[in-house]
Amino acid sequence: MHTQAAENEDRILRLWTPILLRTILVVAAVILIFGLILMTSKPDFYVGRFHAAQAHQFAEKESFPELMVLAARGDPHSVMTLGLYALTLVPLARVAFSFLLFVRERDYAYIGFTAYVLTGLIVGMLLGRMG
Amino acid sequence: MLEILVGLITLSFGAGLVGALSGLGGGVFIVPALIIAAHMPMAVAVGASLISVVATSAGASVAFVRDGWTNLRVAMVLECATVTGAVVGALLAGIIPAVILEVLFALMMLQSAYFTLSKQDDVLVEHGDPLARRLQLVGDLPDDAGNLAHYETVNLPAGGALMVVAGLMSGLLGIGSGALKVIAMDYYMHIPLKVSSATSNFMIGVTAGAGALVFLARGDVSTAIAAPVALGVTAGALLGSRILPHANVRILRQVFVVILILIAIEMGWRAIQGI
Repeated sequence: MHTQAAENEDRILRLWTPILLRTILVVAAVILIFGLILMTSKPDFYVGRFHAAQAHQFAEKESFPELMVLAARGDPHSVMTLGLYALTLVPLARVAFSFLLFVRERDYAYIGFTAYVLTGLIVGMLLGRMG
Repeated sequence: MLEILVGLITLSFGAGLVGALSGLGGGVFIVPALIIAAHMPMAVAVGASLISVVATSAGASVAFVRDGWTNLRVAMVLECATVTGAVVGALLAGIIPAVILEVLFALMMLQSAYFTLSKQDDVLVEHGDPLARRLQLVGDLPDDAGNLAHYETVNLPAGGALMVVAGLMSGLLGIGSGALKVIAMDYYMHIPLKVSSATSNFMIGVTAGAGALVFLARGDVSTAIAAPVALGVTAGALLGSRILPHANVRILRQVFVVILILIAIEMGWRAIQGI
């Protein structure tokens, strides 16, 4: 059976998780659409990228600060990459939100589970950057 | 440029639509669509698919979480297993030859086809095992008469073990592995099918997100492909989820099983040719 504390946690999660998911999803979609619109001003660049992908001859490994600077200058590739990062933030953000809630409620078992998932996501990103 | 862009968005819109109508998610269809129709290498298709799967999972989860179908505690416990598998899978995907990945993909499609045909009625458990009770992996769902039916869960270790495999396949192949996740929850842990499906969909975001982050950080995601694919698949999935309540699900399932088997044969044939 659910305890009172667990029911309270579930109620907060059911209220805020959908809001969090939808907000980040919309922001990411807007950034991606904006990037695609910018890309139409560089059609040859896009076609080149498409063929490079077909030949698997690309390594899009700019650092986050580089991406921010280039995106601010209106570089479509950097804007779209930021949009893709924003999309992958969706699960990260909702796990982080759950983690903070469980910390507040001192629900130690679920602090452990969500911390493990968060660590896994971050370690994966770091290992990917190294590999 | 516009022809390529419109082609990619249309292709991914179709994959998202079929993925939502079949209940298997867009990944199972977008990976072969990108490989067969857009002539993309497996690694590029997997990277783009992982990101689009995150988007469709988030889009569909909004309603499922709000309406109470998703069991959030079950998801958070089992995500430990899927994330572990997904990170290992995504790291291995950069090493394992494409031929092996294509064979694995074909096998996963056949497994999804079998799963689609063999869905059975729920067997609810009123008293879960001690571990599941301690973690409060319980819930209520409305039955046909509108009353709330209480359910508890069992076999968490077995379900968790299968979730590691589901995560591994997700990271390797760019799919949500929804069919495996539902089997773990429905068959092993006796979670009602609708709850299993909604919870699986919610978990897919984290599983695919773990793989997507590895691919993005490694520089293995082509933005020129992933951006239009993510938008197309999400739009297709949103439309599919609106059509689904009015569709004849039994006929749709049979059609999709045929499509899955045909794609599995095509992917298997490509793998044989690549050996």
